[in-house]
Amino acid sequence: MPASPLLQLLNVDRTLGGRRVVADLNLTLDRGCVLGLLGVNGAGKSTTLRMIAGVLAPDSGQICVDGKDLREHAQNMRRLRGYLPEQVPLYAELRVCEYLDFCARLHGLGAAGLKQAVDAVIERCDLGQVRQRLLGNLSKGFQQRVGIAQAIVHSPALIVLDEPASGLDPLQAVRIRALIRELGREHAVIVSTHLLPDVQACCDRVVILHQGSVRHDGALPGLGKANSWRVTVVATPAAHEWETLPCVRSAQCLDSGWRIGLVDGATPAQLAQAIVGKGWGLSELRQDDASLEEIFLRIASIETTQVAA
Amino acid sequence: MSWNLARNELRRAFVQPMAWALLATALCVLAYFFLLSLNGFLLLMPKLAGLDSAPGVTDLIALPLLRAIASVLLLVTPLLGMRAIAGERQNGTLPLLLGSGLGSARIVLGKYLGLAGILVILVVLAMSMPFSLAVGTTLDMGRLLAAMLGLLLFAAALAALALCVSTYAQQPMVAAIVALALNLLLWMVDAGARYEGVTNGFINYLALPTHLEPFLHGIVASVDVVYFVLLIAVALALATRQLASIRVRG
Repeated sequence: MPASPLLQLLNVDRTLGGRRVVADLNLTLDRGCVLGLLGVNGAGKSTTLRMIAGVLAPDSGQICVDGKDLREHAQNMRRLRGYLPEQVPLYAELRVCEYLDFCARLHGLGAAGLKQAVDAVIERCDLGQVRQRLLGNLSKGFQQRVGIAQAIVHSPALIVLDEPASGLDPLQAVRIRALIRELGREHAVIVSTHLLPDVQACCDRVVILHQGSVRHDGALPGLGKANSWRVTVVATPAAHEWETLPCVRSAQCLDSGWRIGLVDGATPAQLAQAIVGKGWGLSELRQDDASLEEIFLRIASIETTQVAA
Repeated sequence: MSWNLARNELRRAFVQPMAWALLATALCVLAYFFLLSLNGFLLLMPKLAGLDSAPGVTDLIALPLLRAIASVLLLVTPLLGMRAIAGERQNGTLPLLLGSGLGSARIVLGKYLGLAGILVILVVLAMSMPFSLAVGTTLDMGRLLAAMLGLLLFAAALAALALCVSTYAQQPMVAAIVALALNLLLWMVDAGARYEGVTNGFINYLALPTHLEPFLHGIVASVDVVYFVLLIAVALALATRQLASIRVRG
């Protein structure tokens, strides 16, 4: 018998302020997977996550975590689930270690193992240098990391993160994404965002929400899947010239550069070597994320068209 | 788990200046009042010596002070309790509590214990003033202990009311104003009736002083204890219901 998914949403509906924010939503998530919940503002991402986190009750439908209905087993969810809301829930007057200690107890950790859990999460989220600082005095990046720390201090099976990298500078965003990627190895993680780089950097699977329902659900396109690359060169070779390279399967000219599809088993290093060999002056080689971008923009443009109409 | 929340409430209250400032102000006012009463008693003492059944220290110093403590509690509790839930809502920390899996009743209980804890500290410190007279005179200890029990029940009831109002309010200041209005209403609700000579009606039963005064005179009656316990239970039940409905209404 196959194991049930860790998280399961069945026909979930929710209306807020007279607007149907989540409509007949079905979603599953397994352990060891980072799911990116992508959508434009108002698509229903935060409402969905608030329902999964138990902050908001669905009007109808069922949400199960580890096979248990959220409504009937609210108490059992304390150790199973960690949640970072869009606005990081911090008590400005507390120190980092005091706050994490409180959160660990709040999620049901007993005195035994509490200190180790707090120490471990401080190390994992790289908060050692600020552990005695007041939360209100921390930078936005550190506050965000403390927010993630409170969501994982009790080692939950399911981690729910609402816009974890929003408002961060690029360096901080990269660190947060790396942390999420790392968390995805041991936990099931669901991350909402409207930023494509967030999804590309840390998710295994992407679900695009639009007007409260799932419009796309699939593995993240890109490295190791499509084996498609964006290349910019100084020279101006024709498409058929690209296809003479032994590792190239297809070449498509874009506004800026080329989309190059590699044959099975070929690596970007081989492609770079071939371009250099031709003397075309390689200036850029990066993973092609066009398919996700195209899907997202297509869905967003549907909304724009509908709004305009 | 409610203990964890209560402990966090106390910690948060005492790492900020507000609780300290309120406690210090309240105790300074009460200490000044206590010294005035003591001075008045010392001036009256030669005259009292000639009377057959003259009122004692407990009547002339402790009783006015106990009433002053009650008045201070009426004003201070709304300020201490205003942040309980409305503050979490304004601060954006309510999802942390709601998402923790802790039920609404446990959240309310934890918040209540934290708030009541601060008020217990205030009552105990204030009561140390009349008890300190035991160094120089003989006190009616039974009466003072009954008064302390009454004041603790009174404070516990006011804390429950403040917490209940805080779950309904969006902003802490609104919670403080409404809780103060409610306290004053329950304090004076039978004033008009008393003026008209009604002393045993339902309206008198509703008023806080009707149930506090017997304690201050050393009478511990079950009807008064039940009144305070009922008030606490109803306020906490309403707070729990309101908190649960936040999940439903969004």
